[in-house]
Amino acid sequence: MKIRRIIGQGVQSLNANRLRSFFMMAGTIVGIAALTTIMALGRGIEKKVMQQVETFGPRAMMLIAGGGKDMPPPDTTVTTLTVDDARAIQKQVSGIEIVSPMAWRFRINVKRDVHQYQAVLWGVEPSWHAAWNWYAAEGEGITNEDVATLARVCVIGQTIKRELFGDEDAVGKRIYVNKKRLVVKGVLSKKGSSPMGTDFDNRMIVPITTAMRRLLNVDYVGAVRIITRDAGQMPRQIKEIRALMHARHHITPPQEDDFRIVSPVAIAKMARGTSRTLSILLIALVGLSLIVGGVVLMNILLISVGERQKEIGLRRAVGATRRDILSQFLTESLAVTFIGMLIGSGLGVAIILFLKKATRIPVMISWESFALSLAFALLVGTFFGVQPARRAASLDPVETLR
Amino acid sequence: MIAVENLGKTYTNADVATAVLKDINFRIAKNEYVAIMGTSGTGKSTLMNILGCLDKPTAGSYRLDDTDVNSLDDDALSHLRNHKIGFVFQQFHLLERATAARNVLLPLIYAAEYPEDADQRARQALSAVGLVERMQYKPNALSGGQQQRVAIARALINDPEIILADEPTGNLDRRSGLGIMAIFRKLHRQGRTIVLVTHDQAVAEHARRIIVLKDGRIDEDRVVENQRDPEVELDAFTEKEDR
Repeated sequence: MKIRRIIGQGVQSLNANRLRSFFMMAGTIVGIAALTTIMALGRGIEKKVMQQVETFGPRAMMLIAGGGKDMPPPDTTVTTLTVDDARAIQKQVSGIEIVSPMAWRFRINVKRDVHQYQAVLWGVEPSWHAAWNWYAAEGEGITNEDVATLARVCVIGQTIKRELFGDEDAVGKRIYVNKKRLVVKGVLSKKGSSPMGTDFDNRMIVPITTAMRRLLNVDYVGAVRIITRDAGQMPRQIKEIRALMHARHHITPPQEDDFRIVSPVAIAKMARGTSRTLSILLIALVGLSLIVGGVVLMNILLISVGERQKEIGLRRAVGATRRDILSQFLTESLAVTFIGMLIGSGLGVAIILFLKKATRIPVMISWESFALSLAFALLVGTFFGVQPARRAASLDPVETLR
Repeated sequence: MIAVENLGKTYTNADVATAVLKDINFRIAKNEYVAIMGTSGTGKSTLMNILGCLDKPTAGSYRLDDTDVNSLDDDALSHLRNHKIGFVFQQFHLLERATAARNVLLPLIYAAEYPEDADQRARQALSAVGLVERMQYKPNALSGGQQQRVAIARALINDPEIILADEPTGNLDRRSGLGIMAIFRKLHRQGRTIVLVTHDQAVAEHARRIIVLKDGRIDEDRVVENQRDPEVELDAFTEKEDR
């Protein structure tokens, strides 16, 4: 194939002028390295977001006492959310699988003999286990009977168990919360910590009635966890829950809500934070650097066409058509951006591996970034190579050989 | 093989027409060895460019092997240059960064079919000019005479019908120049057609026929009576040096 021979000529020419070739590809290398890195960062953040959504529960919603938009620390002073609200939601909003109200206290002293620990206390209904998919690894979980009888029992997290009992068996033992005696009836399975670093295993659950009447002495709850049957229904359900809560709490919209609803969508939005805007900005910068690199490439090629007039004339004299000359110069331009892309991708991967090792910044290499880099490189090579190639092809051999 | 009739070339620059060639008529048969001679500015380079299908006349006709060159488009002219014409230039015009072998192979890059025995042919072409042992040298490692011999090998690679040489010895010392002329003589003996363009009477007399241009017209078209023999002169040269 003639075109293969002509491509060979272009590659030989690049190889014979390595310094010039390097300057031609510098812009592409930097641009593609940046693109690869930024895409890996974006991917990493997205993966973290998905993890958080997964932790929160893709079909879960939280109705939390206290207004506000995002997720500030729960406001435990708001006293308007009740167990009755939870019942009303269960009754009036369709497509809901679980509604599980929870009373909570975020710092509560738990004692056993001389051991003491500051735990998170949740008063829950038996549906809590299913709502969080979190069950007792030893002993038993909270039952309907526990709730009905205000049983003085608790199920503790792994951290609490370790702090209070060490290696000893905890089930059946007594602990004290607010000087009230509770019997440990189970130990929750290990949950680990959230992507944000919060320890989930420092919590203990008690029957919701026990929590409200015996331990905390309150008639309100902190939050209601709601599990829908179908994530697709969630927008409608959120709307209905909000309307229901407005009605039940006598709120007319300009007035501020005394509750908020957190959904996976909100969690994802929060987790992404400003990263999306930032990455759009960075991608724009990458685009800019590729364009600048392309302009540099084009200028060096134009200079090179000027310097290589005799070569072009000779090639024409020995039989190269205008098209052959065009092909050779376009080959040179494309080869420069292609090799620049390979080096840039390599550099980008090196940066990513470094970030992975040396920092906690989430990164993830993806094939899409290679595909995108390739597309960009060929686009830049073609776009900025065409004009110099045309100029080379249009040279008159008689003039150039003079 | 070459038939030029009433050929003329006029350049128009800023509405001023300059006639470089006027009413040129000649024929060159196969296996002729012709020198086109004239002082600078007489249009001999323009004539060579036209004969080499690099340029087109503005008047008259040029037929090469029964092909009316005037009627061909740019691609067809490139094709014709590629397989019928071998150029040898005063400035050699080699690719500086490529080896002698790669330079010699250059015309084959643009041939319709790349011959399987290309490397063998390059070797043959280089051995025809006595440079086979320098195949892998780059031009800057070769003397002027050697570079011109590489250029001749390049002109031979496609086995062309005509070799067009424009002042081939112009940039060379006398001895190297004689070496080049000896190669042309050998190629002529092998049956090739050679057209030599020069301003130098002494160089022109290596040919069998001289066409003299003057002010764009043919002034003289004669057979050389005492054709010079570069081999003999080279021997004499060597003897003189030895002494």
